Amino acid sequence: MLNLIYGEVESDNYIFDPDTFFNNTYEDEWITDELSKRMIRDVDKSEVIGPHLIENPVLGPISQKELSGGVKTLILINNDTEHIFNGSACGDNCAKWLIEIGKQKDVTVRLGYFMSFGDEPFEAKVVNTNKIVHSGAELDREVIDNDLL
Amino acid sequence: MIGKYGIEIYNNKIHYEFEVKRNITIIQGDSATGKTTLIDLIADYGRLGKGSGITLKCDKDCLVLPSTRWKEFIRDSHECIIFVEENLPFIKSKEFAESVNYSDNYFVIVFRDSLPALAYSIEEIYGIREDRDSQKYVNAKRVYNSFYNIYNLDNE
Repeated sequence: MLNLIYGEVESDNYIFDPDTFFNNTYEDEWITDELSKRMIRDVDKSEVIGPHLIENPVLGPISQKELSGGVKTLILINNDTEHIFNGSACGDNCAKWLIEIGKQKDVTVRLGYFMSFGDEPFEAKVVNTNKIVHSGAELDREVIDNDLL
Repeated sequence: MIGKYGIEIYNNKIHYEFEVKRNITIIQGDSATGKTTLIDLIADYGRLGKGSGITLKCDKDCLVLPSTRWKEFIRDSHECIIFVEENLPFIKSKEFAESVNYSDNYFVIVFRDSLPALAYSIEEIYGIREDRDSQKYVNAKRVYNSFYNIYNLDNE
């Protein structure tokens, strides 16, 4: 289940800057994981050649530390469930991958903006209100009605 | 500091051209559109100038806000355009808002959350996208990027 916390998080396991946290904690196998490869291809338009080499169409060969902040956050969410990551490091183009990860495991993500989750139905829990929502419109209503942002 | 300022910055792979119109410009939008790359270019140019291999064209100095001693940096900078990366933990603080609001610099801030303590216009919230249609560019090896209004009020 994808658990979403809106607003500020005061917790020892909250990571405000996933980009830096990723650079200092990633494991090689996180990069070559099949889901990571798909997310890197979709969000960063880049191909994983190996754990230390990624081919980017603009920048050429790049290291895993040069992946976008959004895709680094997605990889962390998928591989490190001990921490709550700041989902505001992810743009709207990461939303479908948050939904995908949430289908496979319980993850908790903090959001500080109205991420667009698209028109397709999905399931997520708004932790602030304990409500399970089933669409982007229902999620937005829950956030607005409860003044979460 | 008042008025509009054009900024053009590029290396041999990537090119950005945009205009800042007010004291606060916000950059948001999708992941992997080049927000961090833009700030890295400005930081590298700030450290090494032309020796960085980067070309920067702007009538004002373009700087990147450091993560430490940032208050002094803002206080001691005048009539500059200061770029602010999203990973700085103090961006939502009252102290940062006060420093920005009392400064004579322009700020370009990469941040998706709202910043209620800062007075900025919804019209100055931009994303970055590849400028595929422009005919004025000739270097096929370079990717050209420009800003677009995320909330384009003229079309609504």
